[in-house]
Amino acid sequence: MPYLLSRWSELSRQLISREIKSRYKQSFLGYAWVILNPLLQMLVMTFVFSLIIRVSSLGVPYAIFLYVALLPWNLFTNSLTHATNSLVNNSSLIKKIFFPRQIFIQATLIAKIVDFLFASIILVFFFLYYHQSLTLNFLWVIPIFIIQEIFTYGLALIFASLNLFYRDIQHLLSLVLVLWMYVTPVIYPVEMVPEAYRFIFKLNPMAVIINAYREVMLGGNMPKLSSLAIALALSLATYYLGRKIFNKLEGYFADVA
Amino acid sequence: MSPKTNGVIQFNNVSKRYFKQGTRTFKEMLHALFIRREKPGEFLWALHNITLNISPGMTYGVIGKNGSGKSTLLKLIAQVTNPTHGQLIVNGRTAPLIELGAGFHPDLTGRENIALNAAMLGMTKEEIQAQTKDIIAFAELADFLDTPVKYYSSGMYLRLAFSVAIHVNADILLIDEILAVGDELFQQKCLAKLNALKAQGKTIVFVSHNIHLIRSFCDYGLYLEHGKMKEQGEISAVVRHYSLDMEKEL
Repeated sequence: MPYLLSRWSELSRQLISREIKSRYKQSFLGYAWVILNPLLQMLVMTFVFSLIIRVSSLGVPYAIFLYVALLPWNLFTNSLTHATNSLVNNSSLIKKIFFPRQIFIQATLIAKIVDFLFASIILVFFFLYYHQSLTLNFLWVIPIFIIQEIFTYGLALIFASLNLFYRDIQHLLSLVLVLWMYVTPVIYPVEMVPEAYRFIFKLNPMAVIINAYREVMLGGNMPKLSSLAIALALSLATYYLGRKIFNKLEGYFADVA
Repeated sequence: MSPKTNGVIQFNNVSKRYFKQGTRTFKEMLHALFIRREKPGEFLWALHNITLNISPGMTYGVIGKNGSGKSTLLKLIAQVTNPTHGQLIVNGRTAPLIELGAGFHPDLTGRENIALNAAMLGMTKEEIQAQTKDIIAFAELADFLDTPVKYYSSGMYLRLAFSVAIHVNADILLIDEILAVGDELFQQKCLAKLNALKAQGKTIVFVSHNIHLIRSFCDYGLYLEHGKMKEQGEISAVVRHYSLDMEKEL
């Protein structure tokens, strides 16, 4: 249950705003980085993958093809990376005061969603610039986004709690995330993957999710519901596993923090 | 009395051990996964087979030398850490006056830290708004509220932290070495406040090396030695046993 709705709502609210505000501090451009970072990434990648290596982008300009996938992918990696470190970074509190530790994870994920929404503003301008139509089909984005967050939350619970016990996890995670991006259709369309290997993508919730965003925003189609159902099932399973691991280890966080 | 009543603390054969090694890496995880056997000397037992019953409204003193497990006992009651073995029941809200100021953020002002710390202790927005005035008045820091706490003296810091914790509407208060707080005058004020809370029927668990203070403030107590219970019961008997042991050692 999100602690935003419980007795700890005030603490949740404060931690979220602290997480967001920490962006402003100690950098000249402050919150602008939230928008600049993916934008610059997109510019470089568009140059590489549409001019040097010519990746098919299914009839839409590569920049917009990429951006639709890059934003949710960045949300995924930023959320996981920061959530994984959130317990270790707050170890002095964990050692001394009791409150539900999941608050740290939830505050991180919510702060990253706020970043994501800001970064998405640019996407709207892209759609206008490239004369891509915005239709009601866009509403599919909401259930897809919810599945993505369930999956992210489950993984974050697992990685964050294990990272307290074994600090190697944070290094392993950054490696895993780099490799994961290559087996997720972010820079290329899933249609380029040979049939024989497609099953890997069906079992990778992030691949299904990223592909679904593209399908509903650029293709103007409904997402493939069968694939989305598998992704939802895997995300829920990940969430239950994450919660189980987290609850089992939570009582010992203070001993190893 | 049913164990559901607020303010009850029950330890049933509780033991607590810590890992000796601080940060563990993959090497230890692989070891733990494939070789289940525990290496001897890997753990440090902080508490052994603790069984005690603290009823609502009791003032309970815990004494013992350094490293006898007093702070671990408080941490278990505060739910900061869980027991390794045994069962621990704590009913009601606890206000930990241990590790005072742990939740403070040095860059935030006194006022901001009141809000943050109070939220960490589980206070709602309404409770915080209602209590802030009293918290400021008790801490005697009205003039420094908009100063970041990193510029506070250690006494000011502790006064603010104590004041926040004492204003949590808790059923159980956990107090570790209260005499570290501020000057003589402020200590008197803290004691007066604690006596008022005692009169209100709060359960208070009190850890201190000051046996005179313990004897005058508490009704019952526990004497810990190397994590084991050496004596439990009426405070005067517990303190007497402890004093005799200390004299022997001298």
